[in-house]
Amino acid sequence: MSPALGIAAIAAVSVATAVIGFYGLRISRTTGDFYVASRTVRPWWNASAIGGEYLSAASFLGVAGLILLSGTDALWYPAGYTAGYLMLLLFVAAPLRRSGAYTIPDFTEARLDSQAVRRVTSLAVVIVGWLYIVPQLHGAALTIRTTTGLPPWVGSTAVVVVVCLTVVAGGMRSITFVQAFQYWLKLTALAVPIIFIVLVLGGNDFPGQAAPATNPTGLAPAGPYQNISLLVALLFGTLGLPHVLVRFYTNPDGHSARRTTLIVLGLLSVFYLFPTAFGLLGRVFAPELAHTGQADAVVLLLPGRLIGGPAGELLSALVVAGAFAAFLSTTSGLVVSLAGVISQDVLGGSVRGFRLAALVSAVVPLGLAFTTDSLALAGSVGLVFAFTASTICPVLLLGIWWRGLTDAGAIAGMVTGGALCGGAMVAGTVLGAAGTPFWLAQPAAWTVPAAFAVMILTSRATSARVPRTITKVMTRLHTPERPLATER
Amino acid sequence: MTRVRVTAPRSAARPATEPREAAEESAMGQVFVRSLIRSQLRLALVVAGGFLLILGAFPLLLGAIPGLAETRIAGIPFDWLLLGAGIYPVTGISAWLYIRSATRNEARYRDLAEDKW
Repeated sequence: MSPALGIAAIAAVSVATAVIGFYGLRISRTTGDFYVASRTVRPWWNASAIGGEYLSAASFLGVAGLILLSGTDALWYPAGYTAGYLMLLLFVAAPLRRSGAYTIPDFTEARLDSQAVRRVTSLAVVIVGWLYIVPQLHGAALTIRTTTGLPPWVGSTAVVVVVCLTVVAGGMRSITFVQAFQYWLKLTALAVPIIFIVLVLGGNDFPGQAAPATNPTGLAPAGPYQNISLLVALLFGTLGLPHVLVRFYTNPDGHSARRTTLIVLGLLSVFYLFPTAFGLLGRVFAPELAHTGQADAVVLLLPGRLIGGPAGELLSALVVAGAFAAFLSTTSGLVVSLAGVISQDVLGGSVRGFRLAALVSAVVPLGLAFTTDSLALAGSVGLVFAFTASTICPVLLLGIWWRGLTDAGAIAGMVTGGALCGGAMVAGTVLGAAGTPFWLAQPAAWTVPAAFAVMILTSRATSARVPRTITKVMTRLHTPERPLATER
Repeated sequence: MTRVRVTAPRSAARPATEPREAAEESAMGQVFVRSLIRSQLRLALVVAGGFLLILGAFPLLLGAIPGLAETRIAGIPFDWLLLGAGIYPVTGISAWLYIRSATRNEARYRDLAEDKW
């Protein structure tokens, strides 16, 4: 496609993001507004916003890329990303909302009555957030290189600049509108090209001529261990993601937190049909992308190849706009939640501190992105899920459902899970994709149980440390808010 | 000039204490709370277990019936349809059933708790 059109698409999304952000500025004035939009966001808005925030570079570009590379094995990624929300609904959504905390560290501190637990949780949240922003910036770099021919760093820097401007200006109130808009933009950007492609190919016996089962890379198919380990990471990782959890505090009560999650599940289910379709079409019509290391760009390149002409150009521009919406929304969601944690723990919780923390939260991953290479996007995000599942997930699940959890147990478990999973990630980077044994490449299947086991055993051994507030906290987490006639 | 009698609305006849505080303090309240937590946890585990069983059954089904994976519906192989699209309705239905039952558990708790205070 022509570089000018690509740049125009990216500029349009950035401007739209900034405009909605500044519009929101007028209605966000207090510290509470900055953090969680004062808990007055309606379920549909909130669900669109959660969808917008959650659907990252990994979903928009990476899923289709991985499907192109490894076929049906990669279908577990979108399935797991969606099913993770089911787990979130079942085990976390309503109690977390009822806890009344702003951030995950707030929750663990309130539940375990311990500053030390708070600090360890904050550290885990910041690591997860930074690791998760890096693939978004890699995705932006890839998109810029593929579609405009500009140097890759332009893409990642542009994302960081736009995100910093929006977050610093408006906080979460405007972020909610921005994210909701970006969900629908992302859906449109994938759905419209697919509809056109299917219409164009409709007469040509779609997609029967070539077998999508052919493996363009000749990679060994994933065994049951890899699939199970991946599912563990995605199912348990989603319910610990800081930028997703912070959204639950914007629901008015526990019941609406559940309703919001149900709507999110619907939105995600509709969305993931399209990256899957892109991956399938890519396997049939552009398998050579897998050989040239451009698998993650299949979503960007396919409309131009299959449709061509001015229509193809315009559809490509639409896809580029959607891709940038994905990078911007996930990055800004993460930056908001990281800034909330950093400003409360380090800078005293003022609005000024929040703005400073937002800058720090966005600039550090930019440095990381410059110094690391892009792996397969969906794969690197999968590892972040494994890390979350090994650190934040156990403390949330046990904290919500088990009275016996102690501060010592929570810290021991988080440190164990973080060290094991972090060690596996570092080892995987050092050894390279080819030299990493399968159990190190997908560590969740053993690091998550290890974290749970250490957390439970240490808590049992230190059972005298169960906080005295436990009865009060558990009552608050699980009992419905003030009776409402409408909920019956 | 019409005279209007001003009275407190009848719905304001609320218990003097917050239900939550009462539940925290009394032994009876804690019995109800523990039973609510247990039933919510059991419900969540049952739904999660059922969902994972169905999820696990998908690849087993494809492996067990030879040729099923390659069967094409509207040109798309069946394994792609099953894993790429069939999972989402299962997720949605599980979520919907869960919310219905969880809300019912809470309503039951409320009925019990409000009778007491």
